[in-house]
Formats: sequence, C-alpha cells, structure tokens
Amino acid sequence: MTHFFPRYLFLAAIFSLVLGVPRLALAHAVLIESTPSAHATLKGPEIAIHLKFNSRIDGAHSRLYLADSTGKVQMLTIAPQVALDTLTAQSMKLAAGAYTIRWQALAGDGHITRGEIVFAVQ
Amino acid sequence: MFLRAATLALEAFTLGGLAFLLAVALPSRIDSESLRALRRVASWFALALCIAQILSVATSSAILMGGSGFSFRDIVTADFFFMSTALGLSALALFLLLRATSRAALFACAPFALMVCAASVGMSHAAGRLDHRELLLVLTALHHAGTAAWIGAMPFLLIALRNETNQARAARYARRFSAMAITCVSLLVLGGVGMAIFYVGSWQGVYGTTYGVMMLAKIYLLLLILGMGAGNFFIVRQMEREPAPLLLRLRRFSEVEIGLGFTAILAAASLTSQPPAVDLTHDRLTSHEIVERMRWVQPRLTSPPLAALVPPTSIDIAIQESLFRSGTANDANDSAWSEYNHHWAGVIVLAAGLLALLARSRRFKWAQHWPLLFIGLAVFILLRADPENWPLGPRPFWASFSSPDVLQHRIYALLITAFAVFEWAVETGRVKSRAASYVFPLICAAGGALLLTHSHALGNIKEEMLAEMSHTPIALLGATAGWSRWLELRLPDKRNSKIAAYAWPVCIILVGIVLLDYRES
Repeated sequence: MTHFFPRYLFLAAIFSLVLGVPRLALAHAVLIESTPSAHATLKGPEIAIHLKFNSRIDGAHSRLYLADSTGKVQMLTIAPQVALDTLTAQSMKLAAGAYTIRWQALAGDGHITRGEIVFAVQ
Repeated sequence: MFLRAATLALEAFTLGGLAFLLAVALPSRIDSESLRALRRVASWFALALCIAQILSVATSSAILMGGSGFSFRDIVTADFFFMSTALGLSALALFLLLRATSRAALFACAPFALMVCAASVGMSHAAGRLDHRELLLVLTALHHAGTAAWIGAMPFLLIALRNETNQARAARYARRFSAMAITCVSLLVLGGVGMAIFYVGSWQGVYGTTYGVMMLAKIYLLLLILGMGAGNFFIVRQMEREPAPLLLRLRRFSEVEIGLGFTAILAAASLTSQPPAVDLTHDRLTSHEIVERMRWVQPRLTSPPLAALVPPTSIDIAIQESLFRSGTANDANDSAWSEYNHHWAGVIVLAAGLLALLARSRRFKWAQHWPLLFIGLAVFILLRADPENWPLGPRPFWASFSSPDVLQHRIYALLITAFAVFEWAVETGRVKSRAASYVFPLICAAGGALLLTHSHALGNIKEEMLAEMSHTPIALLGATAGWSRWLELRLPDKRNSKIAAYAWPVCIILVGIVLLDYRES
C-alpha cells in the first residue's frame, strides 16, 4: 500500500488543481419574467417590482437593490413570498429617470444568482 | 462549483466504499487485514466529505454575509445551511463508525449513508422544482445511488484486488462487484433518462442549451465507461480459466473507468450550476445557428493589432461589473483576436498529434520530439489569451488573477508546460521512470476535465453557448486521450494496448481540427 501512496498523492494534487480553479459563477435560478421588464419605460410614480424565477427561491435570504442614475443604491424590502418562485418588493414612488434593479436570489442548494434589470420612469 | 464537484465526488466514493464493504467484501469473506484497509480508506473519504461540506457552507455563508448584509443568525435558517449541516454531520458519523473495528459499527453506517444521500438530493435541482418535485427527487436519488455503488465503489475493488493473494477470492470480489455494477448502471440510467425528460424536454433543449450539451458530455463519458465495463464483464466470466492475467487487465480497465467516472462527476457538478434546459425558452440555439457556426472556413492566421481591441477597464471596475453582469460583448476585433489564438493553437496541436502518431512507428524516431511543440503553445497562451492583462495589457500580473478566466488560462499554460517537459523526456528515453510517464495522461485527463468547467463571459448567452460547443468536444477528446495513454502504459502486454496506443494521438489530431474550426462570429 505504501508505494502507491505517492502516486495517489500526486493524483490528488493534480485533481486539487483541477477542482481548485474557480469557475465563473453561472447558476441555475433564472429570471423568466419581471415587472418592470428589461428596458421598459413605465408611467410613474408608483412602481411595483415583481420577479418570477424558474425554481424555488429562498425569499428570506435574497436581496433586491435599486440604483438610480446618480449611482445611489438602496436596498429594497422584499415582501413575504406569495409564491415560492417569486420575489416582490413593496411598491414605491420613483421620480422620472433611469433606474437599475439589481437582484440576488438564493436557491435551495445555496447557489446565488445575480442579475440586473434596467428600466426608466416617465 | 469546485466545492460542489468535490462533495459530489467524495459522496460517491464514501457511499461507494460502504456499498462495497457491505455488498461485496463481507459476503466474499474478505480477510480482516484487507477489511481494515478498506474501512480506513472509506473513513478518509467520509472525513474529506465532511470537510468539503463545511467549506461549502462556509463559502456560501461568507458570500451572503459579506456582500449582502445578512448575519450568521439569518444564514442558519436557510434551507441550504440545514441540508449542508445534515450532510456534514452524517459524513462525520460515517468517519467515526468506519474507524471502529466491529461489524455492528459497519452496519450502523447504513442510516447515515441514507442521510448523506438524502441531504445531497435535497440540494439538487429537484428540490427547487415546483412541478413533479417528488418524482424528480426519487430519480435524482436513484442517479446518486447508482453512481456511488458503481463508480464510487470501484477504487475499493482495486484496493481489495491489489491486497488479495488468494486468486479464487479475488475472482469472487470481481463477480460480486460485477453483479452490483449491473444493477447500479440500471438505476443510474433510469434516473438519468427520467431527469432528462423533465429537465431537457425537447431535442432543441439537447443541442441548443449548455445544459443539454453538458448532458451529452455525460452520456459520451458513460458510453466510454460502459465500453470498459463490458470488457470487464467478459473478463469476469472467464476468470475460472486463468485468473491472474485477467485480474490485472480488469484492474487496468477499472482504473480508466474511475478516471472517466470522475470526469463525468465534474460534468454533473457543472450541470448543477446550469438552469435546466426546459426553463430556457429564450436564447436557445437553433440547428441552423449551430451548423452555420461549425461550417468550415479558412482559419484566421493573421491577427488584428493590439491597439484595435476594446480598451480595457481597470481591474476594480472589471470586478465590480462582473458581479451582476456576465461579461461584456466582444466587438469584431476582439473576436478576430480570439479566433487567431484558437486557430494557431489548433495548428500546434494538429502538428503535435500527427507527429505523435508517426512516433508510434520506429521508422520516425525524430517525431518523438513532438511534446516540445506544446511549450510553444503554453507561451502563446500566456502572452495572448488575456490581452487586457500583463504582459500585453495594463492590468497588473498579480491583480489579474482575480479574474477566473485569467487564472484558468495561466493554469492551462502551467499544465501544458509540465506535460510537454515530462512527455518529451519520456518519449526520448531521457527519463525511464514509470511515474514520469504517468504525467502526460494525468495532465491530459485533468486538462480535459478542467475544460469542461471553463467558459468565456461574452455578455451574450448564445455566444457563450456556441463557445461551449467547441470547448466541450475538446474537453472530452482530452479526457479520452489522457485515459487511452494511461491504459497503453498500464496494460501488461503490447498486443492488448495497441488500440489505446493509436487512440490518443488520433484524439489530439481531432482536438487540433476542432480548434481550427473555432469561431466567434
């Protein structure tokens, strides 16, 4: 057994190298529809945010942020989930301008998915 | 993804070890010394699984706490935390029970093994589905169990055969394992086909999405492993006549099965981080788009000037942008630069493959220097793969390692250089050590596995999928080349290793052709 230990250690080193390389963070919770939709122009000032995903999302451990055209970012309060695959933020009053929703969704297996939705308010 | 791949592989080896002990070793009346050795190895896999799971949950927790303002108290209420903890604690229990010496402790492992499987399945795609959830959980469990008791149990068969001096008993292990493997392959295939129906759903989902392509990669690897397994099946049935040489061949084929199986597990880990194809209703590739992209055109052997590329942003801005976006779209010059890189890499690899094929014959001894071509490839990758970074771009050498693409390219360059030096020394007889001759197949196999997880952030899902469609065949050919060469070196006589001896140079030639056909527009 001893003389194949060095070979197995070498094997372990090679495969640690393989496994140790970070991969781009692709993840499997996909946004399938949203309100507002990407690049939409909405009539303000009351805007509701509703995101629907392809699988169950842990709403209590997900995040929604809103960035305005000056770069100021505020964290939005996520409403209690009415469906296991949606994230909803309480509606808010927004002035006319360009905005970006940045969403971070936690799936049941711990995978974190992020994305952006750019929209404008008239 | 690294930790997901590690936990899947370690789960398979831990549960596989237990399955081998209970279903093969004990019923075959294995001697106590061998039993102790097998329990020791299985216990180390269990401990490694526990550690990997702790690292996985720690990493996810750190990401949530660091970037998003959650406290640790918030994190412990998350589903993934509960599942990961259950899996880690069950793995720890398995470690302790396997370290014990009593048979009762061995049987007591069974419920903890079920917990490991259940927790792992609880963190799979199936747990996140809204429709057909229970059925998908069952299919996933069958797939995990089949993988564990087949691929995961194989290293234990090798250890048992190596330690066994009684050939009749060794033949009994092989027969029992063969019967277990046949059952497990059926479970694995049943689970896999079932999941494919729900997760892929259509032929376009198979060829038009990254999920589908990765699934095809797993099927290819499965067919290769089954080919080896079929060889072993017939060997086991002839065991009565001449066990000794047949046992050696069986062990060699099993080594390759383990290596290919590990690569398939990496592909599975890659699948866990992809959305199922059935959920991607937009941005699917059509057959026309694929054919158009794969159509042969003259390779690009002249490069656009560096100054014509999109000016790079600073490393801080690049990291910030990559958090919520999947890279930036390439313009025509960026695409031309990348195609030039791939096509010249193809020229080098094709030449190396042709020379390696010629070197099989004693008449072309000069062709033995073919590995040196790969040093040129390594230098080429280092200089040109990432023009926004050192040495061609403004982003500093050390800071640029924060980009996964750059880190992967540099690791490739290192692997290729090591492979070139070792294989040249072995081919030309400068180094006669057996260990040195294993460097090429292991690096080739590792490189192929690494490439299965590589992707380019091109800012456009369809372009990323098209890039994946050329990287995946290269990855599979690399893995096939590596394990063919391993088999050639490990089989006891030249007659048996002839097919393997010609298979790997042909794989390298095919890699060169795929690289020459690579396009980004």
